[in-house]
Amino acid sequence: MADTVDIAALVDEEAGHVSRRIYADPAVYEAEQEGLFRRAWGFLAHESEVPEPGDYVERQLAGENVLVIHGKDGVIRAFLNSCRHRGMRLCRADKGNASFLRCPYHGWSYSPEGELVSVFAEELYDAEHLDKSELGLIKVTQVDSYKGFIFGCWSEETPALDEYLGDMRFYLDILVGRTPGGVEVMGPPQCWEVHTNWKFATDNFTGDNFHLYTAHGSIAELGLLPPDPMALSFGNLIQAQRGHVLHIVPGPPIPEAEYFGLPMELRPVIEETLSEPQREIAKGHAFSVGTVFPNLSFMQVMVQGDLRSPPTPFLSFRIWQPTGPTTTKVWSWLFVEKEASEEYRKATYEAYVRTFGPSGIFEQDDMENWEECTRMNKGAIAQRYNLHHGMALQVPPDPDFPGPGKAWPGSYGERTQLCFYGEWKRWLTQEEPWA
Amino acid sequence: MSMQPVPVGSADYNAVLEWLYREAALLDSGEFEAWFALLAPDIAYEMPTRQSVYQKDGDGYQEDFGFYAENHSSLETRVKRLGTEQAWAEQPGSRTRHFVSNLLLQKDGEGAFHATTSFMVTRIRSDLPYDLFTGERRDVLRPDGGGYLLARRTILFDQTVLKSYNLSIFL
Ligand code: FES
Ligand SMILES: [Fe+2]
Repeated sequence: MADTVDIAALVDEEAGHVSRRIYADPAVYEAEQEGLFRRAWGFLAHESEVPEPGDYVERQLAGENVLVIHGKDGVIRAFLNSCRHRGMRLCRADKGNASFLRCPYHGWSYSPEGELVSVFAEELYDAEHLDKSELGLIKVTQVDSYKGFIFGCWSEETPALDEYLGDMRFYLDILVGRTPGGVEVMGPPQCWEVHTNWKFATDNFTGDNFHLYTAHGSIAELGLLPPDPMALSFGNLIQAQRGHVLHIVPGPPIPEAEYFGLPMELRPVIEETLSEPQREIAKGHAFSVGTVFPNLSFMQVMVQGDLRSPPTPFLSFRIWQPTGPTTTKVWSWLFVEKEASEEYRKATYEAYVRTFGPSGIFEQDDMENWEECTRMNKGAIAQRYNLHHGMALQVPPDPDFPGPGKAWPGSYGERTQLCFYGEWKRWLTQEEPWA
Repeated sequence: MSMQPVPVGSADYNAVLEWLYREAALLDSGEFEAWFALLAPDIAYEMPTRQSVYQKDGDGYQEDFGFYAENHSSLETRVKRLGTEQAWAEQPGSRTRHFVSNLLLQKDGEGAFHATTSFMVTRIRSDLPYDLFTGERRDVLRPDGGGYLLARRTILFDQTVLKSYNLSIFL
């Protein structure tokens, strides 16, 4: 029996206090696995990763290995990557293509649609002891996709994906549905392991725009950020719905920095595809970072990959997958418009790899902070003192903001982080947190 | 391009090996500007990511997606960044050891040397355990004055999931 812990007492959204225990306590981790990760929708893969029948990738959902596979009937499904006989890991590659899935242990074989097709020495079983129709691969309870983003969920009570995403779809569309073709992955995800609690990374991606000039002070020293540390404090913090949050930040007042700096040749089609309020938001902003609750974060930013290249946009989605109370596996994908030119693909790839991912001149410093925060919050004495989330909480929401949800003027503040922690608390303490 | 093998122990072999040792020493002693001076202006410095795949699908290296996709200017940016006060991933700095071995060398028709080596790099930060980076380097060294300039480095890394929290060092 895990140590009981009063989760409700660990987050005080009104006061802006969060207990350090949530980043280190094994009992909190267990409660999270049960109450949150085995109930919430989690991102599995993008359709462009498995374009052909038989294509598969192996992913994780609530810490368990899942096979995302494109069936011969065109349907993309997700199964536990575990044989029904002794539980052997069925597919042992990160990706591939298979016309059937043969277990390496005793040869039980499954179709890409998940049915058990054949069993070794089948004639030695009687009908009572082998019903193949009951022994198909274990399905992820709910699987659905939004604009090519395939999600899975281990609970049947959790509302359908469309309802779960709710008004976040309005903002996601600005990022992944702004051209008729939508987006596709550029390459496989970069994966790396960080000794941090997943919520430090998520905290950073739920609206922490004000760490820029300190955590990324080296970039400011190089002259690759505007000299005034308040230059990027404009824009809005947005709670799209419940724990789904983001910020949007304007760039310099030049046409190049409108529409997140996306290539000029794509702008007419973007203007045509987006709705009027979406267009207004896209036109006025160069940066957006946010999180689809609980742990799928995104960033649409313009950066200089080096001292001589012009600011170049990229769009990355990443999962902060908890692998233990203080360990996280990061999966980070780069996306690009299907309509994008070869030239833009090269530029956006270089801008991303040079600045983000484990070697990026920005992101390598983020992990330094997240690891050290986690280590410092482990101590019993440290845990007597709460952490502070109090910036700009007095600012009222803007009643005239064009998008759904609540938008607070100014992108430096801790309002959206508290939205995330409040929702986190509900999932860990309530029977029906979505109600 | 016609490739000539360069025998182990020949004068060219020894000179390239010594260059690799000296380069490793510069990296391990944190002399990044001196290291940067060894790079050709048209350098391509790349580190593809790798996936674990069945053998029929090849070696799993992603030709078009990596952990590094650098040119001269971006490497200069990284070196300058290491000289700032707030490059937290290297403040305080990592302690590294670059072990470079198994050199096999060829010379192309234009006189450039193509060096394949194995590397093992250890890194320690703060009081943390060792990070270990292993793989293969494929380098192109172009004769320049009495020495060489590094015109290309492709780092074929052995890990599919990077088991270190960041890559703030040069491999
Ligand atoms: S474990 Fe799969 S066939 Fe036995
Ligand atoms: Fe950051």
